[in-house]
Amino acid sequence: MSTDFQGEHLMPGHLGQFFIILSFGSALLSTISYFFATTQSNKLDQSWFRLGRWSFYVNTFSVVAIGCCLFYIIYNHLFEYHYAWAHSSSTLPVYYIISSYWEGQEGSFWLWTFWQAVLGNVLIWRAKSWEKPVMVVVGLSQVLLSSMLIGVEILGSRLGSSPFILLRDAIEGPIFSRPDYMQYVKDGNGLNPLLQNYWMVIHPPTLFLGFASMIIPFAYAVAGLWQRRYKEWVAAAIPYALFAVMILGTGIIMGSFWAYESLNFGGFWNWDPVENASLIPWLVLIAAVHVLIVFKNTGHSYFTATLLTLLSFVLVLYASFLTRSGILGETSVHAFTDLGMFWHLVVDVLVFLGITVGLLIWRWKELPFSKKEEETYSREFWVFVGSAFLALSCLQLVIVTSVPVWNAIFKTNIAPPTNPITLYNIFQAGFAVVVTFFLGFTQFLKYKKTDATRFYITTLLYLFVAALLTAVVVYITGLYKLKLVFMLAMFGAIYGILANSKILADAFKGKFKLAGSAVAHIGFALLLVGALIAAGTSKVVSQNETGIIQVKDFDKAGDARENIMLYKNQPVDMGGYKVTYIGDSLVAPNHYFKVDYKKYNEAGKLTEHFVLTPNSQANAKMGLVSSPDTKHYLLHDLYTHITAAPIKEEEGLAAGSTEIGHDEHDATEDDKHYNPPVVYEASLGDTIRFREGYMVLTGLNKAPKLQNIPLGKNDVAVGAQLQIVSHGITYKAEPVFMIKGGNTFDFARKVDDVGLKLRFSKIIPEKNKFELTIYQQPESQKPYIVMRAINFPYINFFWSGTIIMVIGFLMSIFRRSSELKVVEVKGKPAKTKAGTLV
Amino acid sequence: MKKSSILGIIVIAVAIAVIISTYSNTSTYGSFKDAEQTKDELHIVGHLNKDKQLYYEPTKDANYFSFYMRDNKGEECKVVFTGTKPQDFERSEQIVLTGQMRGKEFHASKILMKCPSKYTQDKLEVTEAKAKQANI
Repeated sequence: MSTDFQGEHLMPGHLGQFFIILSFGSALLSTISYFFATTQSNKLDQSWFRLGRWSFYVNTFSVVAIGCCLFYIIYNHLFEYHYAWAHSSSTLPVYYIISSYWEGQEGSFWLWTFWQAVLGNVLIWRAKSWEKPVMVVVGLSQVLLSSMLIGVEILGSRLGSSPFILLRDAIEGPIFSRPDYMQYVKDGNGLNPLLQNYWMVIHPPTLFLGFASMIIPFAYAVAGLWQRRYKEWVAAAIPYALFAVMILGTGIIMGSFWAYESLNFGGFWNWDPVENASLIPWLVLIAAVHVLIVFKNTGHSYFTATLLTLLSFVLVLYASFLTRSGILGETSVHAFTDLGMFWHLVVDVLVFLGITVGLLIWRWKELPFSKKEEETYSREFWVFVGSAFLALSCLQLVIVTSVPVWNAIFKTNIAPPTNPITLYNIFQAGFAVVVTFFLGFTQFLKYKKTDATRFYITTLLYLFVAALLTAVVVYITGLYKLKLVFMLAMFGAIYGILANSKILADAFKGKFKLAGSAVAHIGFALLLVGALIAAGTSKVVSQNETGIIQVKDFDKAGDARENIMLYKNQPVDMGGYKVTYIGDSLVAPNHYFKVDYKKYNEAGKLTEHFVLTPNSQANAKMGLVSSPDTKHYLLHDLYTHITAAPIKEEEGLAAGSTEIGHDEHDATEDDKHYNPPVVYEASLGDTIRFREGYMVLTGLNKAPKLQNIPLGKNDVAVGAQLQIVSHGITYKAEPVFMIKGGNTFDFARKVDDVGLKLRFSKIIPEKNKFELTIYQQPESQKPYIVMRAINFPYINFFWSGTIIMVIGFLMSIFRRSSELKVVEVKGKPAKTKAGTLV
Repeated sequence: MKKSSILGIIVIAVAIAVIISTYSNTSTYGSFKDAEQTKDELHIVGHLNKDKQLYYEPTKDANYFSFYMRDNKGEECKVVFTGTKPQDFERSEQIVLTGQMRGKEFHASKILMKCPSKYTQDKLEVTEAKAKQANI
């Protein structure tokens, strides 16, 4: 068995594997040490505490070391490692080496442990009296995450999946019995072209920082229950919870931007299970943050605040189970495949769910439930109700996304809804109506008690203005063609913007504390406005207006004729534009198609002209992948992507040829690519018409250039100078007629753009005419593309709303953490007098 | 009655409504035979019949793609899809169709296909290696 393999670099792998074991061991040690440090009765004994800290430092170091080893392997193209082989290739530029780094499950798990280690250090630095219990929870999560990377066989089943596994161990193959197999592993599989996008360099780290930071509020909630510091933990957890919400939100939107820029499903949001999986914990944590703030200010809703905080992290793990266990195999295109970690992931979820349920039951009797009921006209009550609805919207997402899980548990065979997107849209818009109204009118309420009359007057006034504005927006954007619920959601969003703008205006007058939440709310509502209009009224513009050739026996299924066929240089009217496929260019491995857009006004004057270059990648390993190109306007986007085109495989592309059907060697073979030839007799200056234009015989060239054919004394060669005009473009061609040694020859010339082959076949001196033989390509042989174009109106609201929301979160974080400092300086417990704040 | 109890009841009611509506919106996995008997849209899981021709001629109609699929019960049916041929369709291992029967053809509104684990392809391409082995 001990074959001596040549050319392998085993050192980085051994080192990496060592650090994986070390990271697992040190995380375990840190968790145990912190646990004893928390529970020990001798408060002066610092040994457990120190051990906990130091082992966490070791953990951080080893996690970084794992990263370095893996990076070394991928960067140096050591394809003897399965991870490098499967996710990168030697042609990959450095910045995509970074994205190939987290393409696989192992890499993304590593990213998660890395961020968790970083955050653990932040907590060691800042958590003070909370450090011990909080770090037990963070450590435990770190233990479970690093166990995912171990990849060692224990009791016959493999635990986790290591990024350092060798190719020959990962894959079966007779070739691996050869000691010199490395000679045949020249290159890796390469990175999926869809991931070769700058967003993929920064989107995963952001998203995983978001996931990782969600452990902190969870850890505080656990520590609060465990240490019976029921109320104190809330104030400390709020800034971290806001941070998690901000980062995860940014990560999610980056993902949607990536989808918009480089996926071809035609939009920024698809309710794909993988997208939902990151959205669900985000929404739950947002609900949690609101209830936490309510509790902090009024002492109400303790249980809900704790429960939502705890659940949000359990849902992160559940999301990771959904996307990584392979259970979504039949409902999602881009879920990871199963790496044999199904039960491992289930255990991960169950451990943290167990902690949640167990702690709540254990401490149930001691929980600080408020005896007094909330006032009807109080902010706490309605923020609480609004958060409950936010959580309900997640319930719908969870239930529908989890259909395959229900099937697995209950042994049923339910298929997901046939049209999940519509279902999600309608439901989530319904919840959005409620949530946006709440985020609007709660701003007019005060904590504890509000003057009802005044509240009604302001609320109704703003409702009225919002209704007017909504009517205008709905009319202009054409939203009225959709279901009522979308219009109501628009109403809610506009109302939310107005109400929060008032608060923001007040904030500038002095109540600056409120600015953060107002800005975040405005951002969120704007995001909804953008999403509603862009998704609701996006229009496929690529419908051919010149009539279509019907295929026999085909009756139209739905209204899905969304693709338009463009022949090269043949303009087509499409959605107010004159669109022409003008050519292609190659920057291997991308095949760019130039699509020329022209817009004319009624007088026929050119008003707009631009060229979009959507591309397709013919990747021998991954197949053909298209990426759209988008023309951005202030108020709308025009999105174009290639759905089909005659594209050659990578090898063919490298040769630099993109034209189809050229076989120069055999003339008769070549003629098969053309319609039967037509023979013309023409004099100088004559015009010959053909299907797509005309040509003029402008002159004769007595001394045409002929390569490699020396002409003798009696030999003659004449070139027919032709000027060809097709679709407004002029080409020149010069077929040559030759008499050599008494025999006649002719040399054809092609104009591929027009699909012409021209022969100067005879000279007829008696008539002073010249015979030209013209071959035209049939339509089907001409270069073409099939493309789809979509107009997304007002999508910039969506993007700008996101940015505004993130700014709002940031302002809130600063505010909440500065509050915390004030409290700490005063040395009082982190409980503020209700009513003084906000 | 406490306000929070009323809210609790509303929340539970909405939750139940969500579950019921989700359940009523789910469809079933079926076969072509099932599809013939119903007018509803359903999901059919099956495999591409690679022996029969895939028809996609963008030059004739860029929005017409047809192929033959065998469902999991072995029954074969012509499938028509209003759109372009999904990239790499020939390589698909498994196909999930959403759609309904129209006459003898199944009109798919959605095609979800699984390629041989496209992204973590655990098959080393040994064709080249084999050819070299023969030379040694």
